[in-house]
Amino acid sequence: MPVGSVLFAFVIGALICVVTGANPIAAYAGLVCGGLGIGCTQGENPALQISNTIVFFIPLVTTGVAVALPFRAGLFNIGAEGQLLAGSVACCAIGIKFADLPAPILLPMVLVGGMAAGAIWAGIAGVLKATVGAHEVVTTIMLNYVAQWLVRFLIVGGPLELAPGTSKSHPIGAGAQLPTLLPADNSVIIFGLPASVFRVHSGLFIALVAAAVFAFLLWRTAFGYEIRAVGQSQKAARYAGVSVRRTIVLTMLIAGAFSGLAGAVQIAGVDHNLTDKFFNDTTGFDAIAVALLGLGSAVGIVLAALLFGALHTGGAIMQSDAGISSNLVLVLQALILFSIAANFVGAIRRGLPFGRRASPELPTELPPAAGLMTEAAVPPPGKT
Amino acid sequence: MGHKRLRFLGVVAAAMVFTLACGGTTGGGTPTKTYKIGLVTDIGGLNDKSFNHLADVGLEKAKTDFKIQADVKESKSGDDYVPNLTDFATKNYDLVIGVGFLMQEAVGTVSGQFPNIHFAIIDGAGTDSKGTDLKHSNVQSLFFKEQDAGAMVGVIAGWLEKNGKAKKNKHVVGAVGGISIPPVNHYIAGYKWAAKMEDPSIQVLVGYSNNFTDPAKCAGVATSQINQGADVLFQVAGGCGLGVLQSAGKAGVYSIGVDADQKDADPSVIASALKKVDVATYTAIKNVVNNQFQAGALTFEIKNGGAGYSVDNLDLPAELKAELDKIEGQIKSGALTPPADIPA
Repeated sequence: MPVGSVLFAFVIGALICVVTGANPIAAYAGLVCGGLGIGCTQGENPALQISNTIVFFIPLVTTGVAVALPFRAGLFNIGAEGQLLAGSVACCAIGIKFADLPAPILLPMVLVGGMAAGAIWAGIAGVLKATVGAHEVVTTIMLNYVAQWLVRFLIVGGPLELAPGTSKSHPIGAGAQLPTLLPADNSVIIFGLPASVFRVHSGLFIALVAAAVFAFLLWRTAFGYEIRAVGQSQKAARYAGVSVRRTIVLTMLIAGAFSGLAGAVQIAGVDHNLTDKFFNDTTGFDAIAVALLGLGSAVGIVLAALLFGALHTGGAIMQSDAGISSNLVLVLQALILFSIAANFVGAIRRGLPFGRRASPELPTELPPAAGLMTEAAVPPPGKT
Repeated sequence: MGHKRLRFLGVVAAAMVFTLACGGTTGGGTPTKTYKIGLVTDIGGLNDKSFNHLADVGLEKAKTDFKIQADVKESKSGDDYVPNLTDFATKNYDLVIGVGFLMQEAVGTVSGQFPNIHFAIIDGAGTDSKGTDLKHSNVQSLFFKEQDAGAMVGVIAGWLEKNGKAKKNKHVVGAVGGISIPPVNHYIAGYKWAAKMEDPSIQVLVGYSNNFTDPAKCAGVATSQINQGADVLFQVAGGCGLGVLQSAGKAGVYSIGVDADQKDADPSVIASALKKVDVATYTAIKNVVNNQFQAGALTFEIKNGGAGYSVDNLDLPAELKAELDKIEGQIKSGALTPPADIPA
């Protein structure tokens, strides 16, 4: 099904190209070269393209996990973006305030600080859901705005701003920065380029570990079982002795920690300061597509994040090599989402697990997409 | 799901852009060397009706005139600046142009990695993460004398007040700045200086919104100035300044746009103070093609056609036109020099 969605998107994208008089083969050759470094004809450096794709891949994996985990509990976390921003802010604030501490102390501080901030941000929505039944879709979206404007406040005339009018924060201390995989040195030549142009950083391992932790938590722990039980049926879970409220709050806290980690790793590994690019960052929203496309499994999320990372990097190459606007990439991403969405319309028609009535205390109509993640719809790879 | 709906609207818009963009491009082949010029937009994209659009206009003109290979990369987010600049650099482009001060740090980083590639940046320099100019020998900064453009619209404001052609004629005009930083204050300095020169009894109110994006903040400052009798308002606050233009429209007084021609933003806009980014881009390319690239600052002003003004929703009186031409000539000849700092 996900492969079908991607194929569908690429076929329609090719049709759009043909109809508008462009060459779809040239367009996709540009995308493949740009995203994966394969088949480049105009002097692109393959290693550099792969490095750039991985830089975009890293936060998509971690936020993808942060969306997929609540899905399993029947919760729709639209707030990965806000949680990521909260993590970025915490990482920056700590990294600036304690800039002089050595890396072995400061690096764990900024990463854990980012996780804590993301967890708090998502935890607000979780507690509201568990206590007063406020729908997490609404609260997490609203918290996205709060986080965006908080960033704006902090770096436009606010306490973190470098100097008036700069719209960015001070850089974090050297000890708070994640090392790049290759030496960040202009004078060392690797793959024919100065080594510092390869921005791929050790956050790669953090992202992969996050995906593994997600899979382990979900399939190999009692709590993971509770999450899945709540996602399948709150009534049945409660009957089996699972505390639904506790599960909801804990799930959101953990999801927020993943998102917050993504934000902290982005600051520590790539940006090293808060800039106004975070005003219109979309990582946390792309993560929803990544989680859906990856069917909520760790391996699926990694593959989907790789696809989205490659599309992002490939778009710019397609524009300069084939002369086709990189907006085609946005069209492709939206078409992928569209075909997944169209598919769950079909799932509803077939009466898959959405017909349940909400329990009186917790008005929890499952979001339609949650059905994609349940065992009834898709046999999970790790299930024995 | 508001974001998703936006996203689907975005798809429609993107499909339209894509339709336009799918025409394909080919570099012009000449027997001599074909220069390769790469332009990286900031997140505004090519259709921003401002800096990015104007930079592309300059690039296209250069493409026609010099038979260069001209390629554009639109940055979708701030994450794209470094990869986009780096890609052009790895392909040995003869000049890589970054649009806008948002790209300062990215240009600073990439120019350090590719000392043999020439870079130019509009309205900025190649800096480190603390905003310090790294002064790389392969980076050219394209700056503007905002005070020249500010002076021309200041002439219009002062002349209208002196000759009773404004809406209230209380000899009060206003300027709303975003944040008190040099480029903003240069505009206001020229404006105030010229308005006073035209109408010595004039009072020029200067206020700041401390914001470049929120129109409501600028509308507040503008309303306060209107209440103090101002009937010509000059906005120097980017997107925030749209609030100035709209407030002026609601109050039935005149307004003046900034950076690009803002005629269409509001009917109250009688003129705009212009940074001619197209001229700057074209000049930078011309210098490279003529093997005359120079590191450091290249300043665009009235004298070299890099700054100026447009007359918008106003029937320009002949006497005012004559006055504008006279002042413009005197600034060009050096007989008059608009100040960079706001006069008392």
